[in-house]
Amino acid sequence: MDGDDLALFERSLRAAVERRSSAELDHALDDLGWPDALRSDPQAAVSSLFALQGRAHATSDALTGVVADALGIDCDLDTGIVLPAAGRWAAPGRLEGRTLHVHGAALAAFASRSEALVVATAGDDVVAVTVPTASLPRRPVEGIDPWMGLQEIDARGLEATAVPQPVAEGWPAAVARAQLALAHELVGASRRMLELAREHALEREQFGRPIATFQAVRHRLADTLVAIETADALVDAAWLDGTARTAAMAKAVAGREARVASKHCQQVLAGIGFTAEHELHRHVRRVLVLDALFGTSKALTAALGAELAGSRRLPPLLPL
Amino acid sequence: MDLDEYRAGLDAWLEHHAEALAPAHEGKGTLDEQLAQIEKVKRLAFDAGWMRHGWPERVGGLGGSTLLRAYLQEAVTARDLVEPGLFSMQEVLAPTMIDFASPELGAIMVPRLLRGDETWCQGFSEPGTGSNLASLACRAVRDGDTWRVTGQKVWTSLAQYAERCVLLTRTGTVESAHRGITGLFVDMDSPGITVRPIEAVHGSEEFSEVFFDDVVVPAERMLGAEGQGWSVAMDLLPYERSTALWQRAAFLHRRLQQLLELAPADSLDPVRLGEVTQTLYAFRARSRATQHRMADGGTLGPETSIDKVLLATTEQAVFDLFADALAAELTTGDDPASSQWRAEFLYSRAASIYGGSSEIQRNIIARRLLDLGSDR
Ligand SMILES: Cc1cc2nc3c(=O)[nH]c(=O)nc-3n(C[C@H](O)[C@H](O)[C@H](O)COP(=O)(O)OP(=O)(O)OC[C@H]3O[C@@H](n4cnc5c(N)ncnc54)[C@H](O)[C@@H]3O)c2cc1C
Repeated sequence: MDGDDLALFERSLRAAVERRSSAELDHALDDLGWPDALRSDPQAAVSSLFALQGRAHATSDALTGVVADALGIDCDLDTGIVLPAAGRWAAPGRLEGRTLHVHGAALAAFASRSEALVVATAGDDVVAVTVPTASLPRRPVEGIDPWMGLQEIDARGLEATAVPQPVAEGWPAAVARAQLALAHELVGASRRMLELAREHALEREQFGRPIATFQAVRHRLADTLVAIETADALVDAAWLDGTARTAAMAKAVAGREARVASKHCQQVLAGIGFTAEHELHRHVRRVLVLDALFGTSKALTAALGAELAGSRRLPPLLPL
Repeated sequence: MDLDEYRAGLDAWLEHHAEALAPAHEGKGTLDEQLAQIEKVKRLAFDAGWMRHGWPERVGGLGGSTLLRAYLQEAVTARDLVEPGLFSMQEVLAPTMIDFASPELGAIMVPRLLRGDETWCQGFSEPGTGSNLASLACRAVRDGDTWRVTGQKVWTSLAQYAERCVLLTRTGTVESAHRGITGLFVDMDSPGITVRPIEAVHGSEEFSEVFFDDVVVPAERMLGAEGQGWSVAMDLLPYERSTALWQRAAFLHRRLQQLLELAPADSLDPVRLGEVTQTLYAFRARSRATQHRMADGGTLGPETSIDKVLLATTEQAVFDLFADALAAELTTGDDPASSQWRAEFLYSRAASIYGGSSEIQRNIIARRLLDLGSDR
């Protein structure tokens, strides 16, 4: 997409994201040609949608689309995909012969699909197995962010009748893409929290002056911007370098920095930000869930550290 | 020449001349040795043309993208050929000379800096003026075709080696604050200048006190017009917070890699190691975007304060990791390698001080990037 196309696309996305939620947003994305954009220009499609979605606290099924696209599996509109359970990034399924065990999560739209694709380890292989959605026991997740519409899936000892399709390198690629999408969403949510805290700091007066004049407040907001820009820079770099490792780093940094943003913004918004009525808490909640999906910041960071301590070799630096 | 061509060419040249370029000293070397090494590397790289790419032709350069300069900085740092902080000073001082010196002066002077024939210093801070640069007091009085300068600067890096100084002086009243400042380009061998080196905590006399006693500076040495000194400072500081930081990431990457090789098994906390690595890669990504913005003709401004905060965080995190993993080397090691790690650990503490402290960067971010208005 060139500059003008991209601007137009983003304007349309913005309208779609701001006015609709979930099923409606999915329809709007289809109408806008977002799935085509995902195929032809994944970075533009993913970065613009997920940043907006994060900012607007919106939900859609786009993450499923991202995973499907990266798996290279042409799933039709009636197929949902099981994602890893919160906190995990390994394939959600395990296939033993024809017996399938699943521990995973899914987005709201999953419920309306008749078939479900489960990526599963099968010995040393990774395969995709299609099963009827109805055969997967689901629990609607309330959790810390009930607006997210997550489902938890736990199934033991299903019989897999369909022939498993090989996905091989597809799973790490899908994880990397999903991590990038979530990182953009985390950055978007963080930017929104900063906007809210900034507006409040300029309006709220104490001691006869706006609290934005107090350095303690200013520095919290400045640190929030540093946190956001740090994450954003690494996410962009991860698209450039294209490795799964950098994508995981970007997700980890975006999660960590979004929690920094939550902390500072919540402090600046103080009492009003602690009311259910104020928008802030929704983002604080969403950030925690987004951080948990496809690996928490903490777990991804520990995994990276363990890998480096083992290999004693830093990955190459992104070239100029 | 495009970046790929330059990269390949410079890498090959560095490889081919490795012996000639290698430092004569072992380990970190004394300050004298470090500077001699920098002069040597600059001269060889200038004469072979590599040092001239990315600089305008009117100051002896060969033109081309500023990315070429960034790559040169990175390449020599990654190979451990120069002390990175001192080497990057040209990236701080030369761009401002190009922007503010008269074309004739720039054409004569800048090549000398690039070729390593001269060392320059930056005379901004004073005993009473650190963060609050606009309150500086070193006075310059107009006397016909000259300025007469009287006052003191402090923490002036490399002043004892420098042939020239980019000096900020007070030419208006003290109350005129940032409006009454004028930039001058001063010969350090002018009568009336006394330089007294100061030993810094990392064991090197990196900076000095500089005294000016009725020093005569010709008017054509003005940087910009009278009273434009604040613009000179505002032009220079973003370079100090951006271009010069690119090679710092290369340096930190090399040191973190060496720490990984050195640290005994289980001495590195995996979570901290992962976090420090992520921070370093994020700093590098941020700095890369800044290099590209500059290469595309953008001007550097307050957004470079984010790069500077990130540098301070990253550099201190890398050396904190070292301090935790190799506490014995840090505290009681007296071999050259330990001394070097220790010096670099101590120097890393300055990353949140020089070039505008991290608090000052946050003030800039709050006022200029978040538009929070005045803090009063
Ligand atoms: C290694 C090194 C090399 C240097 N090289 C040079 C050089 O070549 N040329 C040169 O001119 N200078 C140089 N400096 C000086 C450097 O620019 C100053 O040290 C720096 O600007 C801080 O000034 P200060 O030390 O006077 O601290 P102060 O300004 O006195 O600050 C002390 C503390 O108060 C905080 N503070 C001050 N004002 C505010 C505020 N408004 N809000 C919140 N906190 C505040 C600071 O952040 C700091 O933590 C160098 C310094 C170092 C350490």
